[in-house]
Amino acid sequence: MIATGMNAITVDGLTKRYGEHVAVDGISFHVEQGEAFGILGPNGAGKTTTLEMIEGLRKPDAGEVSVLGKPVWPDPRSVQGRIGVQLQSTSLFDKLTARELLMLFARFYDRKDGAERAATALALVGLEAKADAYADSMSGGQQQRLAIALALVHDPDVVFLDEPTTGLDPQARHNLWDVIRAINVDAGKTVVLTTHYLEEAEQLCDRVAIMDEARIIALDTPAGLIASLGADVRIAYTEDGREQISYAHDAQAAVLEALEQAKVRGTRVEGLSVRGPSLEDVFLKLTGREFRG
Amino acid sequence: MNAGRIGATTVAQLKMMFRRRITLFWSLVFPMILMTLLGLLFGRSIDAGTITVIDAAHTPASTAMVRALGQTTGVTVKHDQTEVTSAQRQIRNGDREALLVLRAGPGATTAAQLYYSNASATQAGILKGIVSGVASQVSLAATGSPPAVTYRPTSVDSSALSYIDFLLPGILALSIMISAVIGLSTVLVAWRKRGILRRLKLTPMPLSEFLVSRIAASLALALLQVVVLIAFGRIVFGIHISGTAWAAIPIALAGALCFLVMGFTVGSLVSEPETADAVTNVITNPMMFLSGTFFPVSAMPHVVQQIARVLPLYYMANGLRDTIVRNQGLTHVLPDLGVLLAVTGVLAVVSLRTFRWE
Repeated sequence: MIATGMNAITVDGLTKRYGEHVAVDGISFHVEQGEAFGILGPNGAGKTTTLEMIEGLRKPDAGEVSVLGKPVWPDPRSVQGRIGVQLQSTSLFDKLTARELLMLFARFYDRKDGAERAATALALVGLEAKADAYADSMSGGQQQRLAIALALVHDPDVVFLDEPTTGLDPQARHNLWDVIRAINVDAGKTVVLTTHYLEEAEQLCDRVAIMDEARIIALDTPAGLIASLGADVRIAYTEDGREQISYAHDAQAAVLEALEQAKVRGTRVEGLSVRGPSLEDVFLKLTGREFRG
Repeated sequence: MNAGRIGATTVAQLKMMFRRRITLFWSLVFPMILMTLLGLLFGRSIDAGTITVIDAAHTPASTAMVRALGQTTGVTVKHDQTEVTSAQRQIRNGDREALLVLRAGPGATTAAQLYYSNASATQAGILKGIVSGVASQVSLAATGSPPAVTYRPTSVDSSALSYIDFLLPGILALSIMISAVIGLSTVLVAWRKRGILRRLKLTPMPLSEFLVSRIAASLALALLQVVVLIAFGRIVFGIHISGTAWAAIPIALAGALCFLVMGFTVGSLVSEPETADAVTNVITNPMMFLSGTFFPVSAMPHVVQQIARVLPLYYMANGLRDTIVRNQGLTHVLPDLGVLLAVTGVLAVVSLRTFRWE
């Protein structure tokens, strides 16, 4: 059993350099047990490198990282039995069925109850119907669910998912969100995921760390991050071909004022949209750049 | 090392191996095809050719000659109504192989004249030898005196080793080599390239255990090759298998291990699957022709014989041949076994120094 009150993950000053290039620049955060924690950022922000240092695949150049109270380095094997990992680009063995793969992985963890564990993991990711199919005969979404099942087969306490929905169509993405919620809420596991989909972080995560250029630039609940904008609505339109975005509390007043001013200037307003602010706006405000996954 | 885990992983490796039809093709079906083709091409003793005979003599000697030629193995005698001149033209054109004309000579003698073409010099030489031998025999018999020299050609292979007997162990060695070198180098490169080794690093199982399970599965495949290909040779070609054939098992395992380590070395030096293919071909193809797998090394030029002696496949083919068809026991092939294990050791040291998981 895990002692209550202990952090699932503690990261302190974690740094990774590749020559001159700093991939991760002294980041610190913690993840609580049972939490769904998201690392959101554009490609190349340092999300995967961060994850791989916590998982024990990449040795940090500086900083400390511990999982369930145990330091990951210098001996990652001491925590690897307690964590489950889905890597960004694992292709699986061909010519083994989903069930055989899961039982083999259970065996890697020296578990003798492979058949039951395989059945549980398949049920958790909703892949029972494909239990006897080879991985190479499955769709992208099914393969991804199998990769997640492999991360769950030894009943770990903390599950890492590296861009789990990248490359999936919207339907498959939404199916996978249900799977991730089930792992986090129903099975009670701590989930750490990286994503470059703003909506995904907003939908799935209790707290989100926004990473950009090797650093964490904001960390809060999705609602908290959005509240930090200090606005209730986002108004966007193009005025004589120039894009205008503004934030306000009172949608009606703000829209009327914008139109009024345009009238005074004699310009043309097109494509007016009014909606609640999202994480996209948080990123724009923090970096001055639009978010591009 | 965890024996139970290695056992379970080995079973999974075997499943992956045997569910790939291409593995079964290269390790079992291809050697059978190769053996059948080479057996059909070179299996029977050499056919000397067909001699068209015109017997215009009708003497006892001419009749005796025609009969003796007809009884010579490899010679077919044809009686044709043909003109000598047109037959000569046909020989020149390659439509006829040889013509023997028998005429009554002066006195009670018989004149035998053989027409042949130097375009097929080897065949002409063989036919000339046969006809002259038959003529001498008949002449001698006519004198009624005992021969001054009796001649009996005798093969040195006591068990009358035919070509197909020679071929079976060679092809077995070759197929074990190909399965081992190509099998291990390509999976290693593929596992690394596809991130499978990285994924395995996240489990508590040491990667060395995974590798050991793959080697165990490959050795099991080598054993299967020994059993299946010997059975194939026995059933299809009626090859006489020596009672010492069990001693082929240690040779086959040592050879497979040697070539697995060779595949491992390639797999540890190369990162692209295509490069792995090219490198293994460069290694295995010359070895296939220089190691006495298809034809005896002793029939090859001296230089080739020297080269063969540094190739592990030579020792494996030799060891398998001695035990499977030459009735030699394990003690006789210990030197071959020693060479294979020594090469394995050297390659293992080299490859473990160069190996990287990522």
